[in-house]
Amino acid sequence: MPQYQTWEEFSRAAEKLYLADPMRARVVLKYRHVNGNLCIKVTDDLVCLVYRTDQAQDVKKIEKFHSQLMRLMVAKESRNVTMETD
Amino acid sequence: MVLLESEQFLTELTRLFQKCQMSGSVFITLKKYDGQTRSIPKKGSVEGFEPADNKCLWRAMDGKRKISTVVSSTEVSKFQMAYSNLLGADMDGLKKRDKKNKSKKAKTPQ
Repeated sequence: MPQYQTWEEFSRAAEKLYLADPMRARVVLKYRHVNGNLCIKVTDDLVCLVYRTDQAQDVKKIEKFHSQLMRLMVAKESRNVTMETD
Repeated sequence: MVLLESEQFLTELTRLFQKCQMSGSVFITLKKYDGQTRSIPKKGSVEGFEPADNKCLWRAMDGKRKISTVVSSTEVSKFQMAYSNLLGADMDGLKKRDKKNKSKKAKTPQ
């Protein structure tokens, strides 16, 4: 279960994992206000990628990541879906 | 598991965050959804089911209460904006990093 130390590596690997099998992959987010930390996990029930943080700046990145993946999920497969940065 | 409308889901999600401020965790899950509402029998498949391609399923939980919603391509933009505001407002218990110099923001050199 790879734990990533940098957001860059995590988001790249996670997106790749999702694109490999969109129906199987899921994103799980766990937030604890008490401890002030956040853990995001992307898994397809075989491979499990994890990124933990306690930094406020990562909230924005994680939110963007969620939105990006959501857009990939609701886009029709008929056209080529590529990573777009708004 | 309570299935809600997107707007209601976000309202309830804020409530979950507020409830868990003193103790507990908030779990959020996102997954692609094909619209299947019935279980698939072991042999064969469900009759007359067309997998939809434009939906995703959001779930949230605080360890006790579970809520969920389905977001389709028509609601995506609205949901995304509301969700972005929600995360920014509710996930505020994390450390602010102000020691390192970031190239994005203009910080006054010490």
